[in-house]
Amino acid sequence: MDAFNNFLQGSITLFSDPINILIFLGGVIGGMLFGAIPGVSMLTLAAILLPFTAHLSAEQGIMLFSVMYCTGVYGGAITAILFNIPGAPENAPTAFDGYPMTKNGQAGKAVGAAVMCSALGGVVSTIIMMAATAPIADWAISAFGPPEIFALVFFGLAVAASVGAKTFWKGWLSILIGLMIAVVGLDPVGGIERYDFDMPYLLAGIHFIPTILGFFAVSEIFVQAEKKVRGSYKAPKLSVDFPSLSELFAHKFAVIRSIVIGFFCGILPGIGATLAAFMGYNEAVRWSKTPEEFGKGKLEGVISSETANNAATGAAMIPLLALGLPGGALTAMMVGVFQMHDMQPGPLVFLTSADLVWVVFAAMFYANCSILLIGFLETKTIINLLRIPFQFLAPLILLLATVGAYAVRGLTIDIVVMFLAGVVGFFLRRSGYSIAGIVLGLILGKIGEQTFAQAMQMLHFEWSGFFDRPIALGLLIAGFLTLCGSIYGAFFKKAKTPQTPDPDSA
Amino acid sequence: MGRLRPGHLVEAGFWLGLCLFLYVYSFEFDKNIEIYKFGASGWPRAIILLMAIAAIGQLIHHYVKGDETSSQIISAAVDDGSEEAAHAAHHETVKWYLSTFALLAIPFIYMRVPEWIAGTSEPGDAGLHTARLIVAAILIAVVVYFIRHHRVRVMLMLPLFFAALLEDFGFYALAPFFIIGVMYLFGERRPRPMVLIMALIFGFMLTMFVKILYVGLPVGNIEPFYSIGSWVVTVLQ
Repeated sequence: MDAFNNFLQGSITLFSDPINILIFLGGVIGGMLFGAIPGVSMLTLAAILLPFTAHLSAEQGIMLFSVMYCTGVYGGAITAILFNIPGAPENAPTAFDGYPMTKNGQAGKAVGAAVMCSALGGVVSTIIMMAATAPIADWAISAFGPPEIFALVFFGLAVAASVGAKTFWKGWLSILIGLMIAVVGLDPVGGIERYDFDMPYLLAGIHFIPTILGFFAVSEIFVQAEKKVRGSYKAPKLSVDFPSLSELFAHKFAVIRSIVIGFFCGILPGIGATLAAFMGYNEAVRWSKTPEEFGKGKLEGVISSETANNAATGAAMIPLLALGLPGGALTAMMVGVFQMHDMQPGPLVFLTSADLVWVVFAAMFYANCSILLIGFLETKTIINLLRIPFQFLAPLILLLATVGAYAVRGLTIDIVVMFLAGVVGFFLRRSGYSIAGIVLGLILGKIGEQTFAQAMQMLHFEWSGFFDRPIALGLLIAGFLTLCGSIYGAFFKKAKTPQTPDPDSA
Repeated sequence: MGRLRPGHLVEAGFWLGLCLFLYVYSFEFDKNIEIYKFGASGWPRAIILLMAIAAIGQLIHHYVKGDETSSQIISAAVDDGSEEAAHAAHHETVKWYLSTFALLAIPFIYMRVPEWIAGTSEPGDAGLHTARLIVAAILIAVVVYFIRHHRVRVMLMLPLFFAALLEDFGFYALAPFFIIGVMYLFGERRPRPMVLIMALIFGFMLTMFVKILYVGLPVGNIEPFYSIGSWVVTVLQ
């Protein structure tokens, strides 16, 4: 009942302030559009907006990002279905059947299924998140000290290394380079300067905003520039023909299964919605009586993937808000928003800023509902907006990123760092490294080193101290097992990754 | 050589070289901290060690499996087409990389050479301003020369060059040319849409950030660019 009252209070706060409503609507439409426009993603928009959240309250900033997260995950399905270009990794399995459906003239039905299932998965996940986050945070306050947080960071990074790059080793190198960037500046215990190369600029560390902008927004433009040289995609055939309720009801088990899978995957730090979408899709194939029809334009493929990835969005907020640990690139940027307001996400947020938490929860709930509304009413408009030529979008994105990087501290060197990060990101991406891994490493690196130092001081520098703390020990073992499994897989298993079926062969 | 290609060796060499450099540099701050026995260099050195292990693991992986994707990895999720695009555009040769890095030196030439010519780094020095104007003009001519036939390379360099010029020439004088340059590099050739879109984007940036949000963008140091930038800010605010 408390949760319901808090939700009502959050809803009132959200809708009683016109600025909040404006930010909410901006987040809903912006997330959906940037998720849907080929070549950019909600992460691009989030990176551009990150510096400007300093002008908003912490409540508004986090609310904006969480709303974009919900609608952006859905928006990415549109490009996956229409162009075979997933807006984000979590939409990749949607393309397996969504794009063949477009080829078969059923784009509208695929988009309609994505609308309904994204909304459903997201709403259910948000409701569970509202019920579960506060008790987990309460428990975390007493059960989670520095050793446990360090162990969770280790576990999260171990899991993240196995998703997102071309090989396990490249996943680890991506994360380690992020951790190394986080080392630059003053060390957290003694305040000793590290890797500053006698440059005063580096004393305060490499700022995460220009770095994130460079890795996500700028490198994306460079990748698109290269694709443009090669010659690009063809415009799809458009139709709007939503699936009937009975058609969706026929897939009720797929929906329920995907919600469960999505939620449990989303709660794991480091992987979240991407693994959720793939597992949702794979399970749908495994449980199907006609698995051979998947990859040729089967509605259930779109339903499973889109339900699971949106179900992961609410769950991904649990480790962020209850433990202060981001699970992916966008939640890592949310940590940035907290830090810009001199706050640290974690269990204490529920005590010190309960209003913030419940406004964010309410906003996520309504954002998922709005996917349904806007998806049904505005799909045609969104599809037509996708026709904006990229050559007109690219300079706008680059200039927005320029202003974003400069606005943080008023230093042109931040702009140079951002574009340099863009160039580095471009070369790393084309070599199969993970940009999300670098950013996770960058954000978790500071938390990891600080909690490691605190843990070792607490345990009097005795490693055996971890054996007396079951949660920390369990997480460390889980992390090591994940690592060992990945190393075993890297050397001894044959690759059997899901491949996008060739629609022309259908 | 197993399935190793020269590129794999270069990649491993890069990572191991980086590890060696970072390790050697860590002695610069290898100081004891009374309350923390691992000192300031313990954490970075642990990361360096793991990086070296991962780089060697990656090399062994290439030796055994070539470019095959690890079975644990959700490869389709990370396949954003960038590798495929690089391959299709023949942008993977040593020559391509060398010429790209040569072009990427342009912004850094601008950041260093004028000070070297003028013999001073004093921001207000008239001689330094003249040197910067001359060097910028020469480098812009080089960029214009390359822009038609090396689109991707120039695209990588142009934003960095723009950023390097911002401090001296200001956002207001450079942004219109930057917008047109990016559109050109993305294949737009029609003058009328280019000018129209440039005006729209520039107008939006000025209205949104200068007029509404009062973001103080760089106005430049060198005349007449400084006066132009200041005039735009005065008019808008």
